[in-house]
Amino acid sequence: MTDRSLVQIAFYAALIAALGLLPKFAIPFLGGVPITAQTLGVMLAGVMLGPVRGALAMLLFLFLIALGAPLLAGGRGGLGVFASPTVGFLIGFPVGAFVAGLIMQRTKTLSVLPAAALAALVGGVGVVYLFGIPGIAIMADLPLAKAAFGAAVFIPGDLIKVAVTAVVAETVARGLPRALLSRG
Amino acid sequence: MAFWTPHRNKRDEEQRFDPALADFAVFEGVGLTLGGREVLKGISLVLSERRIGIVGLNGSGKSSLVRLLNGLHLPGLGSVRIFGAETKAVRAQLPRHVGFVFQNPDHQAIFPTVEEEIAFGLTQLGADKQAARDGASDFLKQHYCEALAKKPFAELSEGQKQLICILAVLVMQPELLVLDEPMASLDGLASRRIQQKLRTLDQKIVLISHDLAVFDGFDRVIWLEDGQVRMDGVPGDVLPAYVADLDRRAGAATDEVDL
Amino acid sequence: MISVYLPGTSWLHRMPARLKLLLLAALSMAILPVQDPLVLGGVFAAVLAFYATLGPQGLKQVRLLRPLASLLLIIFLLHGIGGSWMEGLVAVMRLVSMVLLANLVSVTTRMDDMLEAVMPLFYPLKIFGVSPKKPALAVTLVIRFVPVLLSVYSSLAEAYRARTGKRGSWRLVAPFALQALRLSENVAEALTARGGAAGLGSHIPRTRRGDAGC
Repeated sequence: MTDRSLVQIAFYAALIAALGLLPKFAIPFLGGVPITAQTLGVMLAGVMLGPVRGALAMLLFLFLIALGAPLLAGGRGGLGVFASPTVGFLIGFPVGAFVAGLIMQRTKTLSVLPAAALAALVGGVGVVYLFGIPGIAIMADLPLAKAAFGAAVFIPGDLIKVAVTAVVAETVARGLPRALLSRG
Repeated sequence: MAFWTPHRNKRDEEQRFDPALADFAVFEGVGLTLGGREVLKGISLVLSERRIGIVGLNGSGKSSLVRLLNGLHLPGLGSVRIFGAETKAVRAQLPRHVGFVFQNPDHQAIFPTVEEEIAFGLTQLGADKQAARDGASDFLKQHYCEALAKKPFAELSEGQKQLICILAVLVMQPELLVLDEPMASLDGLASRRIQQKLRTLDQKIVLISHDLAVFDGFDRVIWLEDGQVRMDGVPGDVLPAYVADLDRRAGAATDEVDL
Repeated sequence: MISVYLPGTSWLHRMPARLKLLLLAALSMAILPVQDPLVLGGVFAAVLAFYATLGPQGLKQVRLLRPLASLLLIIFLLHGIGGSWMEGLVAVMRLVSMVLLANLVSVTTRMDDMLEAVMPLFYPLKIFGVSPKKPALAVTLVIRFVPVLLSVYSSLAEAYRARTGKRGSWRLVAPFALQALRLSENVAEALTARGGAAGLGSHIPRTRRGDAGC
């Protein structure tokens, strides 16, 4: 790992933290629902940095939270979040970023907008829920179906974030193509 | 809804922008406290000149003063009137009357390409997408920048970036242009190009700079110190006094580390 | 850097971080399978008692649970509807105890000490030719750059406001991400110029292999 990748990973981890500390954005489509930008950062990490650096950025972010930095949206941090029912989602973050990055890499023939949407959908939503729902089931001692039902309320918000991620990736790709490291 | 209309009209009457007003900005006893620090202390000024420079050390209140002109800050005490309208009442409309250019062009541009960046100003004024794009393209041509239209913003030189930031503000046709150290990150050539550009503009201009040479041809310079006006007058009077004060302080600072 | 750490000198503050982490892991494993509401009630009371021993600010730290409240309610309801309310109560009590117990470690351990305690986990990185110093450096970089990025964002938001009269927008995420990458390039260069992440010293021979970083 070069100094450059190390610093890029650290900056993206910091970016994800910063996105969680910002006030919520109102999203104009879908009637101005406020969303936290943090999970947007999870999708962006994979889509922008590629599989390895994206996953490492997420791991670093989680490591800081475990050390006690209150960087999760809403100012949560410390080891407690890893004992909470949503721990599965946290574990899913680096894996999801990895898968999203991999999809970006393997779909170089596609233009950025659909590729990023696919990557964010499969990695940022599919994979994250694949870990998140069993996580709730185990931690809250619920059957899988009920856990899935409980998690479903967040899916509409996550689909909006998929759209935003795709637009952001496409904007960055046009503004400074080499910034899209997943395709470099 | 009709019930409310007369009230709204009355308010508009009171707070209407009058771009023909000679005194474009009037500060009355303005005080401002930011983060527990009193950055402006009882400032009263009437601005009417075409070219006004602001000088002072970092932390003297320059940036806070000019941010009051476009509603980025609202006065804590006293009032600020822009073209006759009190900023507290018309904050949301201020961006179309008062353009604001910052030091770092990278922190201003939001869109990937030059044309989109310019077009954004037009959509802000209500143009639809196609009209905004056409308007942007015409506007760039008018300013001899059509070659940059399709370029990614990130690939421009620093001088070009700042020029585009200025144009992105000018396209909204503000009557007043405020610039907070716009030349600070530019080289000598780019800085001169921007200065030349500013000279050609019809807009009234309020400019902050540490490079005093840029005030050549200005009508008035205001020297701020510690949140107050230390001196206010024609550049020929204010600038030499300011430089003398800087020299005196720098000389006095040699034995104590007082930077 | 802000942290959930609560400065103090209680017995838990004085206990070595590594011991606290091991005890936490053991206790969490022990609590997870418990189904008896009475036992869980006892555990919950014991955890609260631990907080009370931290001093006057101790019990207030239970507020770290607040963001979880709605989630806990949903879990309780999911258990109750078409199941058993008692199961719901047990699940919620178990979760609350585990979260509070884990936070107890975070509240009584400085970030530096925590980092120090887990450093041995990174020694195996040497096998892959990666310096074990890197995770610690990366942590430092993140702590250093969160405020820098927040100030970049506030500059972007201020310029946006100057032009639109509106507060921040999702539109700003793209230039924000771009500025983060651009800043990272400058910082990486400065880091390499000062000897790279692995440091100079004993790592100098490695640079002969043509890779200054690793």
